[in-house]
Amino acid sequence: MEALWSGLDNLASLSVLAAILIGSVGGLAIGAVPGIGPAIAIAILLPATVFLDDLVSLVLLLGVYGSSMYGGAIPAILINTPGTPVNALTTYDGYAMTRRGEAARALSLAYAASFFGGCFSIILGLSALMLFGPYLRDLGALFGQRDIFMAAALGAVLLVAAHRKTMGIAALLFGLGFLISLVGRQTTRQIDRYTFDVDYLFPGFNLIVVIVGIFAISQALFLLTGKDADPPEARLNGGLLRGFGELWRFKPVALISAGYGTIMGIIPGVGEFVAQFFSYSTARAISKDPGKFGRGAPDGLIASEASNNAVPAAAMVPLLALGVPGEALTAMMMVVFFDAGIKPGPDIFENNPDFLFSLFFALLIINALVVITLLVSTRHIARIIYIPNRLLGAFILILSFVGVFSIRNSFTDCMFAAGFGFLGFVLRRIDWPLVPIVLGLVLGSIMIEKLTAGSGQIKTVVHLVNRPVSGTLFGVILIVIGVTIFTRLRTRRFEH
Amino acid sequence: MKSRATASALCSATPRQSLKSGHATRPFVSICPPTRRISVEDVNDFRRGRGDLIFSLFMMGLALFFAVFFFTQTGWDDRKLPDNMAGYWMDQVGLTVPEGRLARLGRILKQGWVAPLLCLCILVPAAMWNLRGAFRAYSWRKRFRQPTDVGHEMMQWLRALEYVGWFVVYTALVPVLGYLVATLLLGTALPWRLGYRGARWFGICLSVSFAIVLVFRSGLQIRTPVNIWLYDQLPQGMETFMQVWF
Repeated sequence: MEALWSGLDNLASLSVLAAILIGSVGGLAIGAVPGIGPAIAIAILLPATVFLDDLVSLVLLLGVYGSSMYGGAIPAILINTPGTPVNALTTYDGYAMTRRGEAARALSLAYAASFFGGCFSIILGLSALMLFGPYLRDLGALFGQRDIFMAAALGAVLLVAAHRKTMGIAALLFGLGFLISLVGRQTTRQIDRYTFDVDYLFPGFNLIVVIVGIFAISQALFLLTGKDADPPEARLNGGLLRGFGELWRFKPVALISAGYGTIMGIIPGVGEFVAQFFSYSTARAISKDPGKFGRGAPDGLIASEASNNAVPAAAMVPLLALGVPGEALTAMMMVVFFDAGIKPGPDIFENNPDFLFSLFFALLIINALVVITLLVSTRHIARIIYIPNRLLGAFILILSFVGVFSIRNSFTDCMFAAGFGFLGFVLRRIDWPLVPIVLGLVLGSIMIEKLTAGSGQIKTVVHLVNRPVSGTLFGVILIVIGVTIFTRLRTRRFEH
Repeated sequence: MKSRATASALCSATPRQSLKSGHATRPFVSICPPTRRISVEDVNDFRRGRGDLIFSLFMMGLALFFAVFFFTQTGWDDRKLPDNMAGYWMDQVGLTVPEGRLARLGRILKQGWVAPLLCLCILVPAAMWNLRGAFRAYSWRKRFRQPTDVGHEMMQWLRALEYVGWFVVYTALVPVLGYLVATLLLGTALPWRLGYRGARWFGICLSVSFAIVLVFRSGLQIRTPVNIWLYDQLPQGMETFMQVWF
């Protein structure tokens, strides 16, 4: 209980509240612009967080993360273009409602469902912290180096398995990210890995440089080489509050979707898309009129929005509890933890429990603030949709420089970022996923760090899996691999 | 001409009137026609495009490159391994009973070359798996007379290099002209190159560029290059002011 009040007390400072406000309103605006997702905004903001207080940095990034999906629903519903990739499913029913002249109803339902999904997972997280807090403090003793290694390995396996149609590509890019993390001089042993005696390669590739290159610069190049979209004009009439009342009619769908979002968010490497897939499919299965899905079904819209907004709070769980990020945005946030000297992992429950409460309360405030902002100013935010794409690309390029240079005052880093930007651009062009590279970088580093640190206890292969946690996780890895192979073989049989 | 067209398109597209009045001037154009039944699987849909095979070949080459240099670039020369590796692994997995004391596996795992080996064990098979998929997609395209020409895709990649060039030039200009001037220059020149021309666009771009400098350099005091050639030419007081704030 003391940690709870202390967590609330941490938030009661002007700088933290300002960060919450800037993060959430900024995230809304960023989400509303098709072509800029939260990943780009976080990538650009990451270097700035080095100069800010740790909690201020994290709530700023959380604000962007937690609010961007709300913003992304606006263009998805009004002009059939998702603001962020996770809003793609929202277009199916949201835009169909707009075509029927129900844009305000669709937006209102999307806000209500998002708010419900967000609050559901946050309140669940807070309740778990309050109820199990004293027991979670003992979690540190349960998790050794080998257990975290196995958790990171599970994250990698789930990441590949979750890319249903691009598993080979996901594995390849995960391997590439892993390899990028290895380049440079290993100072403890004076071993140069893939440096080819080039001085510039000795310090290795900084994580932020790779992230800014892969996400921000590549997106800038993508926008710059594309065409300015000429989105159709949007019609918006009616109040935006009624969706909150209407949501009550669809409470089973909202509850199931928020539940899926929370569960899928907790599992590393899975994330919003799979949560939406399950939510939408379930909503359609339990609907009395499944034929209207994809043609403006309010329950379809609710399933999409409630599930994707439940993910951010849930995605913090593997990061905070195990120190293993489950997706790209939490991987980026891990950088802030490193800078702040806070080690995410089981020990955090013992050492910084108030910090955990602060983060979850901040997320709750962000959700409330975002909904209030949207209710007041959707009509103004909707205009952001019409900013020309290529102009945005030019300014993302400008912002990327300051992001990269400020990390190590290095022009070499800027050149590396440009190189990674070009690589990311090609990947975007051929529709390959970018997230596995970043997770390969982060999870690969964690795996090697933990394997090396735990090597003293590994006498035989059995010692890798003979602890309760590592053994269980290894079992889960085998099950995931088995199920994935089985599903693939079965799908192939049906295809032929 | 292009700039005016784009500017007017933006003006007309801004739904100031329509949002307030609730009347759209023209109907929506849906990317996905309402007649088509949309499946949720569409979200995870993936089709290999025309540049896919080229890039898959490149990735295969890259994986092989790293595999070839594994023996010289990862500390493999300094490896410490048991003499009879086959026997050692048989002992490790319990197929044979070790004679004497079994060398600890952890001693091997903490060596510098293990991580690259682990990585290559993922990278090389995945590259081969992906290349197989890319070849199959290419053969499918050829068989059904789908376009297979990669010229257009390669041109797009080359077009992106122009903007990489802009970024590199900007990076090189910052230590010469300072963050403020270089940013104002790129922030107005690049949009001009893109077709956003005329006084209105110039004003918008200049203001946005200046705002970026104010927020990041003056406000957040993010590090940018010091020892700026242009600032060195300024009087002492002004030089200090510019170095501190811009």
